[in-house]
Amino acid sequence: MSSGEHTAPADAAQHLQPIHEPPTTFLKKYVFSTDHKVIAKQFLWAGFFFLFIGGFEAMLIRWQWAYPGEAVPVVGQFIFTSSEGVISPSAFNSIFTTHGLIMIFWAVTPLLIGCFGNLTIPLMIGARDMAFPALNMASFHAFLISGILVMAGFAAPLGAGSAGWTTYAPLSTNIGTFGWGQSLLVMGIFVTGIASIMGGINYIATVIRLRAPGMTWMRMPLTVWGLWLTSILNVLFVPVLGSAGILLLLDRHTGTEFFIAGAMAGENAGDPILFQHLFWIFGHPEVYILILPAWGIVSDLLSFFSRKPAYWYRGSVYAMSAITCLSAVVYGHHMFVSGMNPLLGKSFMILTLVISVPAEMLFLNWLHTIWKGNIRKEVPMLFAMGFVFVFGLGGLTGLHLGTISTDIYLHDTMWVVGHFHLTMAAASFLGIVAGVYFWFPKMFGRMMNKRLGQIHFWTSTTLITLVFMGQLIAGYAGQNRRLYNPYEYTFLEHLQPLNQWTSYFAFALFAVQFIFVYNLFHSMYKGPIAPNNPWNVGTLEWEVSSPPPVHNFTVIPTVVRGPHEYSDPVASKILGRDWLSQTEPYPTEPVASPTTPAEETA
Amino acid sequence: MTDLLNKAKRLFMATLFLGAPMMAFAAVEPEKNWYTMPRDMSEFGHRSDWLIDITSVFSAILFIIMCVWMTIAYTKHTNGAEVEYDHGNGRKQILKAGLLSSFIFLLVDGNLFYNAMKDLDEAFWNFDGAVAQGWHFAEGESPPNHDGTIRIEINAHQWAWDARYAGPDGKFRTPDDIVTLNDIRVPENKTVYIQLASSDVIHSFSLPNFRVKQDAMPGMINHMLVHTAEESAGEYDIACAQHCGAGHYLMKGLWTVHSESDFDAWAAETSQRSELAYQESNVDSHWGWDWKEK
Repeated sequence: MSSGEHTAPADAAQHLQPIHEPPTTFLKKYVFSTDHKVIAKQFLWAGFFFLFIGGFEAMLIRWQWAYPGEAVPVVGQFIFTSSEGVISPSAFNSIFTTHGLIMIFWAVTPLLIGCFGNLTIPLMIGARDMAFPALNMASFHAFLISGILVMAGFAAPLGAGSAGWTTYAPLSTNIGTFGWGQSLLVMGIFVTGIASIMGGINYIATVIRLRAPGMTWMRMPLTVWGLWLTSILNVLFVPVLGSAGILLLLDRHTGTEFFIAGAMAGENAGDPILFQHLFWIFGHPEVYILILPAWGIVSDLLSFFSRKPAYWYRGSVYAMSAITCLSAVVYGHHMFVSGMNPLLGKSFMILTLVISVPAEMLFLNWLHTIWKGNIRKEVPMLFAMGFVFVFGLGGLTGLHLGTISTDIYLHDTMWVVGHFHLTMAAASFLGIVAGVYFWFPKMFGRMMNKRLGQIHFWTSTTLITLVFMGQLIAGYAGQNRRLYNPYEYTFLEHLQPLNQWTSYFAFALFAVQFIFVYNLFHSMYKGPIAPNNPWNVGTLEWEVSSPPPVHNFTVIPTVVRGPHEYSDPVASKILGRDWLSQTEPYPTEPVASPTTPAEETA
Repeated sequence: MTDLLNKAKRLFMATLFLGAPMMAFAAVEPEKNWYTMPRDMSEFGHRSDWLIDITSVFSAILFIIMCVWMTIAYTKHTNGAEVEYDHGNGRKQILKAGLLSSFIFLLVDGNLFYNAMKDLDEAFWNFDGAVAQGWHFAEGESPPNHDGTIRIEINAHQWAWDARYAGPDGKFRTPDDIVTLNDIRVPENKTVYIQLASSDVIHSFSLPNFRVKQDAMPGMINHMLVHTAEESAGEYDIACAQHCGAGHYLMKGLWTVHSESDFDAWAAETSQRSELAYQESNVDSHWGWDWKEK
């Protein structure tokens, strides 16, 4: 492949992205910054804040399922003042509703897409910033406003929204949920959707326009591929959710009846099924939005730390692209029991099953990448392997839900909850944490503590598996999701001990995250100073200082090879190290370290 | 001392295996086990149960292979092990990956697909009788139109289940209709054809012991088939499976399966009582719809 064929020539790239003066005032530096690295940090901290809120809510849910109707110890009296610390049924509904939404839109999205998207895309493709830096800033500010809206919901009379994260109409209309809490939640989703679309447009444009000379599509790190595909899904499908949100708000506040039907509707009845279609044509791509960047990160990390080229790189790209396309046409499996036409249901069933082919290819590539490598047991690698383990479990348990006859029994049970937590919650979380351990040196210029990282990994992964296995088992035994007190049902009474154990594991999982929090803050200030390239990795972000200068690259690099060149036998012998950077010329004879990147002669 | 050792061993095993400590709590009856499904009381539930379990077996095999693979790589292919410099993009390798993926797909997904289609056509969604299924039905006969099929209209609302049977005249919305609240009775060894609606939000009518579930949609009439097994007399929970508001967790009903003679006696008596209680002016109690023939 000749370099520079599909990208701008070197001098044009320098002109396209002039170097600006670094900002000097506090406001310009930290609040109204247009620097992608600062915006990445903004998303990181905001995401961690909401991750804590959502995680805390998960603990309340687990408490209720372990000890239904008993006062929450210590914190309960301050939160549930009117009920002496006991979670009431409507408070419980608000908690699981906001838990789901906060985790999806305000924790995983900003961390995985907002933080790593911003941090890695320009650095990994050799750009000085995003294509639209001001839009990038606006994206974070919109995200912040949406966060304020969702938090304001907790202060609303009658409590925060409680119609479930899916906000199914008519429950989410005034027929089922009164008060401003639900409206604020829907507004929050709408505004965070705007933030996602702004970010998505920016990422797509940046990847298309600002790749460094020689950075062809098939030389991009898989992290960038994952983020780019996610951005496409975001830009295509978040607007659908936005339209559903607007119609829902009209139903709630102006008396329209887009989603209201039956006895409660007036003359111009609408259709609740319409809401489900609008929601899930967004909602199913959304689960891939939340996992594609993690797939990309993990695909890269497995290769980096196995010191081996990524197995069938193109296959991974094709598989991720195929899943991106398929994700839009499988959403009907969320509606198997809604009363859809059997023919339509069966069609969705086939399409859903087909998605397992590219998923298997991706898995095979991961497993082959680590096979016969030289695994370096660094913390990011541990989390990447943990990701494969947890996502494997989550992916396989999805098979039962993709087929109608098995889904009829498992639909709306804890099996579904266990399955999607393993895939898009636990796996995304592990992907995020892997990314934090990996890029922390680049972000903060210091190294994180390895020992604490290992403890964090082994405890988290074990406990995640136990917690969500517990949910899968409860679902298999028939426990429906979202029940305030499952033991009201005779056929579920005996599941309380199971749920208690699941809760104990969940509490432990929450507790061990403070090891990570400590490691994060301690390392930020006290960690050993990070070299430019602590992991001996060849992608572009490791060629600049840690942390990089505001303009990233003084000279925009010229890329001569793919991102996963490890243990090339000839080059290793000459260079005395097992990796090749994306910019250095292929060594022909023993040479000194490369200083000026040169064009590869094709 | 040995006692203490045994105790410690048990505690260790208990913490190792999720749920092992619950064994002590679990009662003897099969549906009381935390690791099994509720007892299957339906004629065809064993089909989806088998499909769920066989898929779990396939999944477990694939998962175990993956774990062994990763463990070997993690323990052997490390600490300066010789690296196989391989981009995995050779024609043979791609062909191998494609064949392996296709094999797994055809085996696991193919099995799921083939059996799910069969189960839907022959049992769970056999509304039009396009496929002969044996049991009570003649070749091509549609279960909803079968003579022995019990017909029930169910209307869900926050947070209860209203049920209506046609009564002796076989017509819905007449004075002899049997009307009940949270109390649905059916005979064993029969097909029950339910037409389902909701007057406020979305609910979901689920019978865990009969492996069926169907959303109750406002403004729409949904259909479901329940096939009660031969020896299935007893009382079972009706559960609402769709979040429907603050009282969702209390939206349970009683699904009683009688022997055929008990059911007939109950139906006759309840129909008479319903007729006595019938009031022309009480429009609210006349909910229901004209039966939708399939």
